[in-house]
Amino acid sequence: MTRKSNVQNIMGFALLMFIMFLTGCSSGGSGTSDGAAGEPTEDAAQGETQEERTIEFMTISLSPTFDEYINGVIDAFEAENEGVTVEWKDAPYDQIEQLVMTSASSGDLPDVINLNTLFLKKLAGLGALVNMDEAAADVKDDYFEGIWQSGDIGDGNFAIPWYVSTSGLLYNEKLLQEAGFDTPPSTFEEAWEYSEVIYEKTGAYGMVIAPNLHTQMPLHGIPIVSEDGTEATINTPEAVELWTTLKEKYDQGLVHKGILLDQAKVPELYAQEKVAFWTTGPQLFRQVNDLAPEVYENSNSAPALVGEAEVQNASIMNLAVPKQSEHVDLAVDFAAFITNSEHQLAFSEEANILPSVKEAAEAEHFTQGEDSDDPAVKGNFFAAQQLELAQDFTIPHENAGEIAEVVNKTFQGVLINDGDPKQALADLETQINSLLQE
Amino acid sequence: MYKTRHAVFFLIVPVLLFMVFILLPAISAFFLSFTSYNIFDPIEWVWFDNYKEALQDSDFWNALGNTVLFWVLATPTLVIMPIFVAVLANQKVRGIRVFRLIFYFPVLVSVVVTAILWRWMFNLDGILNYFLSVFNLPAVEWLTSPEMVIPSMALVTIWSGFGYYTLFYLAGLQTVPKDLYEAAELDGAGFFKKHLYITIPMLRPVIFFVSVISTMGAFKEFTLMLTMTNGGPLDASTTVVLLVFKEAFQGLNMGYASAVSFLLFLFILVLTLINEKFIDRNPSGD
Repeated sequence: MTRKSNVQNIMGFALLMFIMFLTGCSSGGSGTSDGAAGEPTEDAAQGETQEERTIEFMTISLSPTFDEYINGVIDAFEAENEGVTVEWKDAPYDQIEQLVMTSASSGDLPDVINLNTLFLKKLAGLGALVNMDEAAADVKDDYFEGIWQSGDIGDGNFAIPWYVSTSGLLYNEKLLQEAGFDTPPSTFEEAWEYSEVIYEKTGAYGMVIAPNLHTQMPLHGIPIVSEDGTEATINTPEAVELWTTLKEKYDQGLVHKGILLDQAKVPELYAQEKVAFWTTGPQLFRQVNDLAPEVYENSNSAPALVGEAEVQNASIMNLAVPKQSEHVDLAVDFAAFITNSEHQLAFSEEANILPSVKEAAEAEHFTQGEDSDDPAVKGNFFAAQQLELAQDFTIPHENAGEIAEVVNKTFQGVLINDGDPKQALADLETQINSLLQE
Repeated sequence: MYKTRHAVFFLIVPVLLFMVFILLPAISAFFLSFTSYNIFDPIEWVWFDNYKEALQDSDFWNALGNTVLFWVLATPTLVIMPIFVAVLANQKVRGIRVFRLIFYFPVLVSVVVTAILWRWMFNLDGILNYFLSVFNLPAVEWLTSPEMVIPSMALVTIWSGFGYYTLFYLAGLQTVPKDLYEAAELDGAGFFKKHLYITIPMLRPVIFFVSVISTMGAFKEFTLMLTMTNGGPLDASTTVVLLVFKEAFQGLNMGYASAVSFLLFLFILVLTLINEKFIDRNPSGD
């Protein structure tokens, strides 16, 4: 190890500590600063023979609820691979990024990391992750195509998709009936028509505009950037029409401002009967039951609203392998093992989530529930039916987070500051192109 | 010699901790502010590029503007009002301990809990707007209006920090000699004159201290903004430290985040020096 890399790591680690001190955050854990950033550490391999290998696996907020399941999969992998030990660490959702960064700065990244798509793109863009199109080419076709693409950035794919969540529609039957509707809306256009009547007759909101508009625009057939991620495609007449329509709804008072600005929680408002329907992952429906069982009792579920593009947004948890891993092949094998059909099906049965592999999704578990009285079970059925249409709408660029933020803020600005949608989209196009070229 | 040895003994641990957890990281951050460090790539020296970028970045100036507005709204109140409360809390009247406890109680609540509680109260249909509606007043967009969000945050900061600063003034009041008040009374000074001509001048070192730490606190504040609004709406509550946090941990622009941190450091340093010049730390003028 060179003196330069040592100095670099000490400085890097010290910087993280300084910023954490400044912002009052806990580092939440760290490693030693022996390894050079971007280079493998020697410690992990010391004293290990080829037969005795250890890989570290980091997940997000799965312990202690799923300890038994995860440990079971680890035991099975270790049994199949003699001399291999998998060390499992679980990190809280809001600390995973800091933990990954502190680990990276000390050259001690876990071998298999559970990442959300936005952070995955950031790390992949920095060249920190293994290209799974090559490393896991033998299993790639097992996964839904639209879901596998969540790891795309540039010419490569940098993650194996793990568990998935698509949406269903939870709606309050009582409020809809008060407004004169017997069935829930099925399209966005219909949902706005419902909203006007529901708001007028009950005072409740119908459609809500979530703060993450960047994931909503592709539902209406408006991609934010080109497929190769090189230029903005948002400034189109269709986009102007969509933003103008949404602005009209906002001006009519049909949009809850707190939700738009991410300062009010939809489940809380739904539980208070201030919102009549909610499109989200069915695993979240029971939040309403926890808050207001009587409202949940009056609720039912339906397929998620469909836009012109006839695609559905999927939230995907990915498994990535850092290039600096000492055991890349073994780590990729483990990521493929825990995401294979058998293990994803078992996980789905425990966690009310959907699998990213096609074979698991064909299981009886996902083909039943349409007639259930429980909106969550019924919603899960509808969500599972949408897996073929599911795509991750995260922009395939390392600045995906920044681009998403600028889209959402520009849109919010148009609504709040009475902006001109056409001009705003033209300005937005320039900003996105600038971020794509960084 | 005996005392020096003991002083060294007691100081060695805090000094070591200071060096390891503050000084060394600060020096490292200073050097890294001249690089494009992003954790994963090798360090590349960019010299003053990060500083130039920050000074040309509208997000930085917006964040600095928000921070200054927050400081202007929160700090003067936190410096001045606790003096009056401390004077009242220093009286020997029945139930004064309960009074002191009530004022100190918000200090004991964690910032995140404070933020969540106030976010509920600031809701468009929250309790504050309910009280306004009782008096037929229109609802206020506490956190959803770009104009109101920083004043709302300042209100929360004042609520939570009031008791803390009152405590400093209470301690300061204990050091004011009683005979000064007795002499003033003999000269016919009333309650307000006594405090205006004796208490305030005698508390000058404490006022200076409180203004410095409340200024630093205001410029460092980011937990409230992160928890209540995540810097919104439309970046109207993004403060400099929140910008640093986002650049460092979401954008992985560690070099740029370091440069912004040092610009903030310089800003606070200048303010502290100005503060020191205006508030004479030696009331006797020696």
